[in-house]
Amino acid sequence: MRAWICLAVMLLLAGAAQGASTEADFKTALAAAEAAEQEAGALKNQWIPTEQALAEAKKAAAAGDFDTAVVQAKQAEALAKASIAQAKEQQTAWRAGIIR
Amino acid sequence: MRGGAAHGPALFVAAVLVLFAGARASAQTLPGQVLPGQVLAFDRGKGNCLTCHDIKGGDSPGNLGPPLADMKARFPDRKELTAIVFDETRRNPQSVMPPFGRNLILTDGEIEAIVDFLYTR
Amino acid sequence: MKISRAIAVVIAALVVAGARPAAAADSIDPDADFKAFRDYYTKLFPNVPLNDFVNGPYSMDADLRKQWEAIDDFPPYDFAIDRGKQMFATPFKNGKAYGDCFPDNGIGIRQNYPYFDLKTGEVITLELALNRCREANGEESYSYVKDEMASLTAYMAFTSRGKPFDIKIPNDPRALAAYQKGEEYFYARRGQLNFSCASCHVQNPGNHIRTEVLAPALGIVAAMPIYRSEWNGMGTMSRRLVTCNSQVRGVPLKPQDELYRDVEYYLSYMSNGLPISGPGARP
Repeated sequence: MRAWICLAVMLLLAGAAQGASTEADFKTALAAAEAAEQEAGALKNQWIPTEQALAEAKKAAAAGDFDTAVVQAKQAEALAKASIAQAKEQQTAWRAGIIR
Repeated sequence: MRGGAAHGPALFVAAVLVLFAGARASAQTLPGQVLPGQVLAFDRGKGNCLTCHDIKGGDSPGNLGPPLADMKARFPDRKELTAIVFDETRRNPQSVMPPFGRNLILTDGEIEAIVDFLYTR
Repeated sequence: MKISRAIAVVIAALVVAGARPAAAADSIDPDADFKAFRDYYTKLFPNVPLNDFVNGPYSMDADLRKQWEAIDDFPPYDFAIDRGKQMFATPFKNGKAYGDCFPDNGIGIRQNYPYFDLKTGEVITLELALNRCREANGEESYSYVKDEMASLTAYMAFTSRGKPFDIKIPNDPRALAAYQKGEEYFYARRGQLNFSCASCHVQNPGNHIRTEVLAPALGIVAAMPIYRSEWNGMGTMSRRLVTCNSQVRGVPLKPQDELYRDVEYYLSYMSNGLPISGPGARP
């Protein structure tokens, strides 16, 4: 098992080293995530995991780990977009549960 | 970095395949070991399944959902069970089951592991 | 003839296109909602006396009720009532006191909150009214989720124990809109876990998440503020709403946000006629 893992990690690192994220990549990803989270805020439907991912992204960037920072920022954007989709769907879907 | 960029994706794919092969090789657990899917299912921050479901091996279950037993007989089609965990509101719009896949609560890999575990119940 | 007919057809088409379709929007009918709401719970739980719904999970589960009755000799919220009574009796720096901000000196009025203020066009909850009273008299406002607010509302609830909720929706589109916003908030799914308030309190009253028995939405605000054993302390209405949001992984709104006041308005109206049971104790 260990041999598999070692080989896999070496290959992953080799692959990752080829496409490392830059600070510019992070800033782009963060801007997209924050814009989406702001839209979710206007809909009064932000999610806690979105805020956590944004915090993790900024923390990683501050430590110079832009690979992690970009991954977290992209996750934050995905979560924010899911929360926006939920809010928009619920604008009409909420009625389905009304006690009649 | 000269010529390096072209190899990156190929190396990454190779890495994934190697990990996959390694992971499948260790899918069998020894008696007494707990499946990774059980850990995920019982983890309050992950599946948190016991909050609503009675599952053998778990304590103090809730009862918002049906007990998860006899799963092989009830869900002969793995795709159906996976879909329920991914987003049960597609089948039942009024379901209170969280859409673990659609809302990014669990990754696809985590859902697969939990489904593997459920099939042992 | 052909041309005039063509023109007639075109005109007819334009008229139809221009005419606004009859609004399919459901008209707001709080009284119909109220009746349906009450019937739903009394049918679901035919053996629960109507007034008992204000006791939340204890009305749902006999074992839980026994535990509750055992602690009722020394209610855990007594200290909050005493503290609230003392705060009420203590004047502000300017010599005025809480009683000066409320009808009947603030005694025995809790069942009238929230109300819709036609002057300002907003829902006024008891907690909001208390902080506005403080601010109007040169005092700093209290946190909506901490003990001072809990003590004040515990005392005021205590002076209204047994009085039936008497929430009014004036015949004003703004009041009806606030009521409907509260209804929408109650039924809309939120948070990463995708729950609405209704998911637990309409679809699953009497069921339990882990070991926690879920309360019915009917009467659910009558016991506020509550002493919650799980919190080892008091919880205001604001604290309860904020916590529910985080439990479904939704970022909570600011305490006393317009939507929180609207949902309290809606739930209180749904509980009209049911007796104030606060302050309450919960597991």
